[in-house]
Amino acid sequence: MNNHKGKLIGKDLLGLGLLFLFLILFLFSEQISTSNQIEAIPNAWMNVNTIFLSIVIEAIPFILLGVFISALIQMYVSEETIQRFLPKNAIAALVPAALLGAIIPLCECAIVPVVRRLIKKGMPLHVGVVFLVAAPILNPVVFASTYFAFRNNPTILYSRMGLAFVLSIMIGAILYSIFRKQPHQLRRTANLSLASHHVHIDGAMDHQSTKPTVGTRVRDTLYHAVDEFFMMGKYLILGAFIAALFQTFLDRSLLETIGSNEYSSTLVMMVFAYLLSLCSEADAFVASSFGNQFTDSSLVAFLVYGPMLDLKNTFMLFAFFKARFVIAFMITVTFVVFFSVLILFGLIL
Amino acid sequence: MKIYDQSFHAFIQGVILIGFALLILGLILSGNIVYYIAPTMMPFIYFALGTFFLLGIVQVFRSTKKEDDHAHTSCNCEHEHQIRGPLWLQIGIYSIFILPVVLGFSFPDRGLDSSVAANRGIQFGSGISTNSEIAEHGSQSSKEKAETEENEGTSRAEAYLEDPDEYMESLGASSNQSDIEEEDHYQIEDLYDEEWFDEYYIELAEEMLEEDHVQVTEKNYLDVMTVLDLYLDDFIGKEIEIMGFAYREPDFEEDQVVAARFSMTCCTADASVYGTLIESEEASQFDDDTWILASGTIERGDYHGQSVPKITDAFIQEIEEPASPYVYPSY
Repeated sequence: MNNHKGKLIGKDLLGLGLLFLFLILFLFSEQISTSNQIEAIPNAWMNVNTIFLSIVIEAIPFILLGVFISALIQMYVSEETIQRFLPKNAIAALVPAALLGAIIPLCECAIVPVVRRLIKKGMPLHVGVVFLVAAPILNPVVFASTYFAFRNNPTILYSRMGLAFVLSIMIGAILYSIFRKQPHQLRRTANLSLASHHVHIDGAMDHQSTKPTVGTRVRDTLYHAVDEFFMMGKYLILGAFIAALFQTFLDRSLLETIGSNEYSSTLVMMVFAYLLSLCSEADAFVASSFGNQFTDSSLVAFLVYGPMLDLKNTFMLFAFFKARFVIAFMITVTFVVFFSVLILFGLIL
Repeated sequence: MKIYDQSFHAFIQGVILIGFALLILGLILSGNIVYYIAPTMMPFIYFALGTFFLLGIVQVFRSTKKEDDHAHTSCNCEHEHQIRGPLWLQIGIYSIFILPVVLGFSFPDRGLDSSVAANRGIQFGSGISTNSEIAEHGSQSSKEKAETEENEGTSRAEAYLEDPDEYMESLGASSNQSDIEEEDHYQIEDLYDEEWFDEYYIELAEEMLEEDHVQVTEKNYLDVMTVLDLYLDDFIGKEIEIMGFAYREPDFEEDQVVAARFSMTCCTADASVYGTLIESEEASQFDDDTWILASGTIERGDYHGQSVPKITDAFIQEIEEPASPYVYPSY
């Protein structure tokens, strides 16, 4: 018993120590950052640090937004509501899902927790997938930024938007045909709690007599948001760090030498979009800076593939879905984007 | 299974959330947030700041509650969120969250430097408006491309000046055409159509021509670059004053240097580099990454067969790094 108590005090001290450390850092940040040891760090690592922090700080508000929406869905949207609004036919549900994805202005960071929550609430897997790939591209902010970045070349804009719409439905349909028999592709812990959920609902009926007050609801929403932030945040931070390494150390002139061929340049730009992990709102400007060396088709591949799938996103997907599903999803998205871009620019345009 | 110490984890998480809030607050107070985030994104950053403080405090209070607190929550789905696993894994996971906070405080806040510029490749003038067209006419030699583009740019302006109504109509027609091509469910293009865009730059060009010299500031940087690209011919011989950090391509002559700026849309990860070519006898005196202010005459330059604006007979002086080292799109 004593031992247990000692452990508790130790843990409290650990937390307080951390808080103290943060406060010291906050107050003396300037002195620390101008000290000789820090100054001796090579410039390249300074750049990694700058890019890493900037990705983290930029993505965090959107992650928070995503987890709040997810928490609100958890608290206020019932399984029945979702069932009621979805068409019964699995394939018929794909098109409205893509349209809805276009209305929801969520970027690729925020969409992951929302989709996961919706799937847990009983939305079919393939419909969730359509959301996942459509929402980050088909949204007004992305439309505007792409328009400005490629204002002399509207083909890029319309190809991007058109492909995102069509391909999201296609990807949803393909994944539906693969996973029709096993719709539960969320990680097992999630499935377990889904199973235990029903038991709890029965139990909760008894509690219903004491209706949850507004206060407890708000409190629970906040709790949910925190828990989910810590669940997703670690993957975001890891992904951001690796992306920052690539941003600093990957020699871009290397890409340009590979980029001359139609097929290889499309592939290279897709790999590049994956590694850079840019926000879909800003990637058009980066793509336009490559305009000199790359073909339209490879730029469109960059702009369509990046928001659907990138490094930081992959980490988050592996956290929530079974590995088999994530790999199937990645392969499907890669093939569908690659071939449809080639077909669009090779045969149609 | 070991007991999950809810209150300990809640406390640590609360402290980490407060740490994030302090980091953001520190960056805002020192003004160094400009090294990471574009000003247009600031409302989101304030949102994150407030949310982190709120959640951090909520979380610390949660840690003071008894363990049976869980029974009161109305949703019964908390188990999935717990950070479990062996001790090293828990320490690892929390370290991931602590790392950016510690790095953020202890590393100096700095802009990107010329090594990043070299890696990303510099764009002379306003890359944005020209390169898409170059990509389209892949078969032509790049010099021809640049010229046709230049001609197109000026002829568009002339067409507008001669008969504004007709020009606008033809523009409207062409944009309508592209609307038909792609019947997307979006109507937003109506808000941002080309007429507005061209008119904006034509007006700006006229304004700039009226001034006796072109003053490039942080605010108008990208706009001025675009105008110089579109209507370079009208500006040849005009005086210009521009600042940036010194940067050189490996194949530069002794008297050549670029005044470069990073442009940021959302965050540093998407920063791209813009630069103006400067020719001056003093050029060799300035090392890469020194901030310089150059004034001289606008000429048509040629870099690797691409027509670029350049500044000749420039007077260069070293200056302090400006408070906002980045430039941003103006909308």
